[in-house]
Amino acid sequence: MPAHDSTRRQLITTAAALPFAAFAPDAWCSNDWPAIERAARGQTVYFNAWAGSERINAYLQWAGVEVDKRFGVKLSHVKISDTAEVVKRVRAEKQAGRVAQGSVDTVWINGENFLAMKRDGLLYGPFGEALPSYANVDTQGKPTTRIDFSVPVEGMEAPWGMAQLTFFADGKRVPQPPKSVAELVEFSRRNPGRFTYPKPPDFHGTTFLKQVLLETSSYRTHFYSPVVTEQFDRHTAALWKTLDALHPTLWREGKQFANSAAAQRQMMADGELLIAITFNPNEAANEIAARRLPESVVSWQHTAGTIGNTHFLAIPFNARSKEGAQVLINFLLSPLAQARKADIAFWGDPTVLAVDRLPAADKVLFSQSAMPGVVAKSAPALPEPHASWVDAIEREWTRRYGQ
Amino acid sequence: MSALRRARRQAWLIPATIFCAPLAAALWFGISDSIDLTAWRQLLADTQLPAALRLSLQTGIASTLIAALLAVAIVTQAHGSPRWHRLTASVGGMLALPHVALAIGLALLLMPSGAIARAIAMFTGWMSPPDIATIQDPNGIALVLALVLKETPFLVWNAAAQLQREGQGDEIEKQLRIAATMGYSRRSGWMRIVWPQLLPRLALPLLAVWAYGVTVVDMALVLGPTHPPTLAVLAWRWLLDADEAMNRQGAAAALMLSLCVAIGACLAVAVRKLGRPALMSRWTRGDRPASPSHPWPWHAFMRAAYLAIVAMLLFISVAGVWTFPAWWPARWSAQAWLTALASAGTWSTTLGLALASATTGLVLAVAWLETTPASWDARAAPFVFAPMLVPGVLLVGGLYELALRTGSDGSLAGIWLAHSVYAAPYVLVALAPAYRGFDPRIELTARALGKPRPVMLWRVKWPMLRAPIAAAFAVGFAVSVAQYLSTQFVGAGRHASLTTEALTLASGGQRSLSATFALLQAALPALMFLAAHAVARPRSKA
Repeated sequence: MPAHDSTRRQLITTAAALPFAAFAPDAWCSNDWPAIERAARGQTVYFNAWAGSERINAYLQWAGVEVDKRFGVKLSHVKISDTAEVVKRVRAEKQAGRVAQGSVDTVWINGENFLAMKRDGLLYGPFGEALPSYANVDTQGKPTTRIDFSVPVEGMEAPWGMAQLTFFADGKRVPQPPKSVAELVEFSRRNPGRFTYPKPPDFHGTTFLKQVLLETSSYRTHFYSPVVTEQFDRHTAALWKTLDALHPTLWREGKQFANSAAAQRQMMADGELLIAITFNPNEAANEIAARRLPESVVSWQHTAGTIGNTHFLAIPFNARSKEGAQVLINFLLSPLAQARKADIAFWGDPTVLAVDRLPAADKVLFSQSAMPGVVAKSAPALPEPHASWVDAIEREWTRRYGQ
Repeated sequence: MSALRRARRQAWLIPATIFCAPLAAALWFGISDSIDLTAWRQLLADTQLPAALRLSLQTGIASTLIAALLAVAIVTQAHGSPRWHRLTASVGGMLALPHVALAIGLALLLMPSGAIARAIAMFTGWMSPPDIATIQDPNGIALVLALVLKETPFLVWNAAAQLQREGQGDEIEKQLRIAATMGYSRRSGWMRIVWPQLLPRLALPLLAVWAYGVTVVDMALVLGPTHPPTLAVLAWRWLLDADEAMNRQGAAAALMLSLCVAIGACLAVAVRKLGRPALMSRWTRGDRPASPSHPWPWHAFMRAAYLAIVAMLLFISVAGVWTFPAWWPARWSAQAWLTALASAGTWSTTLGLALASATTGLVLAVAWLETTPASWDARAAPFVFAPMLVPGVLLVGGLYELALRTGSDGSLAGIWLAHSVYAAPYVLVALAPAYRGFDPRIELTARALGKPRPVMLWRVKWPMLRAPIAAAFAVGFAVSVAQYLSTQFVGAGRHASLTTEALTLASGGQRSLSATFALLQAALPALMFLAAHAVARPRSKA
């Protein structure tokens, strides 16, 4: 791969000179982007992306047409149901000695899948911060674009979209949505059997636990460094106390939990539950637009803030079309693509860009009229606790409530 | 001449090798992962293991026993009556409904906000669904119910295949008539004469039902317990985890399930050996119990359940918002069908792969049956059953590694090979009874009349066996259509089939889409079973 080697060397010799360099001392800047674009022309990019939503699939179809027209890059959406499949596939390829010509060129990823791929040397890079479009990423206002579930990104993936824990319910049945954990406990006491959360270690369920943990603790600094075993009980006492109070009032008296956030959404739609949980603040609006939820559904976040994170795009170490993948990712990070992605009419996934820093012409792309189901008043995003807390909390949860 | 004969005698090696070589390689790759001490220690230390394993065994045992009893009851009631031909046709249709589709449809009927609860709500005035676990119940009752609904037609269909053997049905009717002249009721005749002959020949399908009941994942995800789930579901989750240590723990759990299946099968054989004398003395003690005057119409129940499930799927596929306790959706949506139409390109891939792998399976099965004596089937059994007994994810891992090493990953050829490995055993199991039961005198007569073997096969044997051959082909076809993991892994996700499209969309939890694709997934095999049934009709005697 001569093209790859020369690019890499240039990346290392040219120091970062971007506005946010102070926050990104390890950011590489490629001054040979045109060469990457030239090499990308004619390449096919196998983009392995979760395909559980027709709207997302349709968005990727649009992106495919655009990158073909603009850069001569062919996009092939490899539809998957679980990103762990891709991790397994790339790892198997590495073990079988397939160091080039891999089957995956780009993967939609974050969290533990990213951690596994980064740790096991399955990723290509760093490339993310060298992309021209990266200059517009809001690394200051959205710190999770540089830290993925407490794992430093270090350019091994490029931020693509934002997520924040959000609740939604039918406004006719829940006229006064609970805007804090304390209110939620009270709500569930008054409506027994009508609230639950996805069973940890489901990603949404664990996030709910982290939300309760952060919200019930007045002092939070220790959650952002590794767990100290001796202090764990003291630091999490408020969490268990809250759950002990909440569980007897839950659906199935807290002896069973929803299988996933999607299952919980369906139960909410059918009337079995009153409140659903999501990580996409625009999910309810999307579902209303798709006629799967009534127009009376409203979304909200807890007033004091809810947990937020970012999802990313990465390139496996053995990708066949590394240049094509970078051109695609750079396009997906452009104001044009990000604005369309943020538009509820198409997808409704919040942008990673600093919209207020964009030139006026690009800024206009992001303006949008209100739609039923959107979060009326956004709350601040709370960063995820250090990764070591996830395991510790899940283990303790399973010990206390798991049997 | 003797060299030719020797070559003929060795011919069985060809189908055996073509089938076993990739399978053995895949099994080796798959199982070598599960032989890891740390993984086993980790598995045994997992607090969910005892309860999860108990649930797996419990649902497996209950579903196998109930399905077997129901199949016996249905065949006993219907065989020899004018209903029989119609019944075998409807059973074929039931088989065509994929497992997941049945699970989703049944869930829509049973769940607390489902059709049955809404019917009850009309009388009780419930405004919210009852907070009762009617699906995903902690004891796995809903899962057992679904397995019984799915496996009973499979067993009936296999029994029918046995009875379809040339002359077999008439022979049984003759035996029953003799029993009747001796004063035995029809039911006693079946229980004491027919089933003791027939059941041992259903050992392989019964084993498949047992293995499926213990290792089922897709149905358990929809209907099974969640807290904890069955061990098969846990193993599946671990095997698909991003973390490699978890994968090995999953492989160990999968191997543990396979061992349980094998132990269970051995126990069943032992019980049969030990219990035989007692049974024999009961059958021959000479009493004449009467048939129950009003036997339960099990088959009618079953058909009603299937109709309700398909109707439910059709309804939900266009229901947007369906709030409890309303009977009618608040919003309708054709979105799901539009999405399905938009992915019409996957139809040809699905059809092509299914035709190719069913053909491969059929050719292999016929080649094996033609080149070996019946007694050899026992020797082939471990290989034939490996793809059914070894949990899917484990074998897929092996097949995928094989594809990687041969460079066939991401290609249609690789998927075709993988599907054939799954389809061939089912085709063989479906075809063997009728094929082995073919009257050798007919073959001898044809040969004595100077017909060379190929002519005999082409003009005499295969036409006479066209019904079981067509049915076996349909089974292989259905197996290929239902493949998810093998299509996705070996094909590197690049060749979307109806099933991969259905499952990737289902991961978004959109119920109307799941229902639509479940129906589409059922449509292809259903058409194939219908075709097989048409082929099976006796030719007009003009």
